[in-house]
Amino acid sequence: MTGSNPLVRDRDVDFLLYEVHNVLDLCKLPAFAEHGRETFDLFLRSAAKLARDSLFPLFREMDEQPARLVDGRVHEHPKMGELYARMVELGIVTAGRPEEVGGAQLPSCITSMAYLYLMAGNGGAVGYPLLTAGAGHLIESFGSDALRELFLERMYGGSWSGTMALTEPQAGSSLGDITTSASPIEGREDVYRIKGNKIFISGGDHQFLDNIVHLTLARRVGDPAGVKGISLFAVPRMRPVAGAPEQLEFNDVHTSQLVHKIGWKGLASLGLSYGENEDCRGWLVGKPCQGLRYMFQMMNEARLLVGANATATASAAYHESLAYARVRTQGRRLDRRTGADSSGPVALIEHPDVRRMLLRQKAIVEGSMSLIVASARYADLAEHHEDPARREQARLLLDMLTPVTKSFAAERGFESTSLALQIHGGYGYSSEYLPELWMREQRLNSIHEGTTAIHSLDLLGRKVVAKGGQALMTLAGVIGADIQAAHQHGELVELCEAVTHELERTGKLTQVLGARGLGGDVIGMLAHSVDYLTLFSNLVVAWQWLRIAGASCKALQGPLADERRAYYQAKVEAARYWIRTELADNARLAKLCESAEDSYLKVPDAGW
Amino acid sequence: MKILVTVKRIPDPDESLKFAGGGLDTSSSKWVPNAFDEYAVETALRLAEVAGKRDRLAEVIVMSICPAKQRQHVTQFLAMGADRGVVVDADDSELDTIAVSKAIAAVAKSEGVDLTIVGKLSQDNEGNQVAQRVAGLLNVPQAGFAATVKWDKNAGTLDVGREVDDGVEHKLVPLPAVVSVDLRVVLPTSIKNGVTADSHKYQEGPRLASLRGITMAKRKKVKVLKLSDIGVSSAGSEQVVAVAPPPARPSGQIVGSVEELHEKLAKEAKVL
Repeated sequence: MTGSNPLVRDRDVDFLLYEVHNVLDLCKLPAFAEHGRETFDLFLRSAAKLARDSLFPLFREMDEQPARLVDGRVHEHPKMGELYARMVELGIVTAGRPEEVGGAQLPSCITSMAYLYLMAGNGGAVGYPLLTAGAGHLIESFGSDALRELFLERMYGGSWSGTMALTEPQAGSSLGDITTSASPIEGREDVYRIKGNKIFISGGDHQFLDNIVHLTLARRVGDPAGVKGISLFAVPRMRPVAGAPEQLEFNDVHTSQLVHKIGWKGLASLGLSYGENEDCRGWLVGKPCQGLRYMFQMMNEARLLVGANATATASAAYHESLAYARVRTQGRRLDRRTGADSSGPVALIEHPDVRRMLLRQKAIVEGSMSLIVASARYADLAEHHEDPARREQARLLLDMLTPVTKSFAAERGFESTSLALQIHGGYGYSSEYLPELWMREQRLNSIHEGTTAIHSLDLLGRKVVAKGGQALMTLAGVIGADIQAAHQHGELVELCEAVTHELERTGKLTQVLGARGLGGDVIGMLAHSVDYLTLFSNLVVAWQWLRIAGASCKALQGPLADERRAYYQAKVEAARYWIRTELADNARLAKLCESAEDSYLKVPDAGW
Repeated sequence: MKILVTVKRIPDPDESLKFAGGGLDTSSSKWVPNAFDEYAVETALRLAEVAGKRDRLAEVIVMSICPAKQRQHVTQFLAMGADRGVVVDADDSELDTIAVSKAIAAVAKSEGVDLTIVGKLSQDNEGNQVAQRVAGLLNVPQAGFAATVKWDKNAGTLDVGREVDDGVEHKLVPLPAVVSVDLRVVLPTSIKNGVTADSHKYQEGPRLASLRGITMAKRKKVKVLKLSDIGVSSAGSEQVVAVAPPPARPSGQIVGSVEELHEKLAKEAKVL
């Protein structure tokens, strides 16, 4: 371990928010008119401090002392309650929510960067309050006043936590197959008797708060099979006693299993069993049979959070390996003079391939951070812009970028974290150093909240072809405008041309694949969906790097101290790296997708 | 009771130093609050509040001498829970230790404060003079480097624990007084105000500026004064002659034997 790791560099957050994405423009919208730079800076500084001083110091310890299941209850790390209280006190549970429910209505651009800091400090620990925020938001959006009164205040206030309970042992990605049932209770209109089993429920039990509210998908008896029959219920572990609502009694929600996993050990993942004694009550949220639609609100939020977690994890690992490469000496320079060389070993960072690995990490981490801010900005505009047409446009872009923001960070973030381990050499493979832990943490991100394959099908099978390709055309317009802006900087012309070319290639490829699907050849369209997602991600991140390079060139036009000049020059080099190496790979990927290369489809089943 | 806490913004100590024109170049510095002043504010808040309740035993005023438009650190301390602020609008070039001490004494006097709490030093120049000078100017008792503070409201005194070489020294100071605080004052049970239970454990370290606090801070009053408003003339008694980085340390040597080491220690280093 090398000194103090910034986890996420403040300078990068400020640069992206204010120089690349002009986030202060959002304060012109009535929804954010109360806010300004000072509020954003102070909040982000508090988040960074909490991450560095409280969350990160417990990161390794929480991995080494995971939660235990004793007599049917989970015993979490003894410091988790204190961390939870500090995160609630900071205000992250309701930071983005409106004032009437106790929030501050900060833009998502700002909350997402606050989450980034906290996740880089200790992703598992941050899971508890963020799951509570997502669960609370479901009740806030779709629940009745009575339901809000019953649950929301205590969840947002920090005395109860929340979870999302979707997956069942036999139904993970395929939620239409869930079997958890809800039977009517005579005389109770919106309260049902719940019975069934859920698995992989993060934060599903702990002892640092009085109660946990599971936002649970279940099927009412008699409702249709498949996704159309799924309803959403709030199922608390402890329920208010009839006639004495301040008192709580057990609601027949049992912890049946503790999942032993390779990372995220600070956040217990559990099997839950509802209604073993036929006495589990669930409160219907919103209308019946709308459960999956409602849950998509939480899932889409969670997908962006997974992208943020993956980016945060990769960022912490990048900064660790950068510091290590600066101090660890090993070997001599490749271009040293042979013979009478008396110079000592050089720092790792002087070796060309180490520099490649560092720049690759930088390109992935900062490109992904920029994409998170871009997506968050569209979320803000989709929700709060005064012009309905702008809201609609932002919604289209957000929906299309969500699978990319999640999957790019997860897939390439894992690669980036692996490079951080590689730079540590043999020490990186030991558990004395942190990169192995970040790698184990990172591995989850391409699995939960929709696997990479699911997101690739969502992108190619749904998002880019929806409404005759309207979203893709909108994105092409936005990218085109940014290319034009960057083109004024002479040294970016090469990069602008490459992005223009690949934008056109992506458009044409999408047309070909879309037509193939329309013609009934669904396998021909989607067999290479993950390659398509990679191609699309390469383009979208190249777009981000072009924006970053444009902002950097603008700053470089003025007088700058050496250190700041170096800061911006490094951004331009990272943009070059990404566009010349990764974006250049799109030709190969496009060929794979377009030719519907079919080797893996043709392997005879008996031949594997 | 009224408590005045002095707070300063300093260039981020985690950034590398830059030199220009015979002095430090802070033109591109990131400014952060001085850590010891964060401890001072935390001390004041723990003295003033009744843990778990809204009652307050004292008003906490934070004061800073800085350019009026660069007072984000004051907002941060208001967000932590201080009640109001006083900013003396001045540029660093107008200030030296005497001017700063006089300005603090003048504000303490005009506000009629019972207790002035300062960080033991600022991390940028580590002067450690302000508390002593302010106490002298106000002609009140002082207790420096507080590690614990216990307030006896009825007697109007503070019992200040100071960690010294041979143990912990306790000073009993009658109010009004000036106290400077050290690192340990933010341990969970360092501050006792006689109303919050002595067994109450605070979170270690100064509290964060919460989002709710930040929102509320914008509505809190900040009085802006000029040095001339409080009868203080600008700097003139101190002069910076030069600032330069220390010479680089020579690299170490690997010796082949104990004898060689002995010889080098004796002849080159001349420490034997």
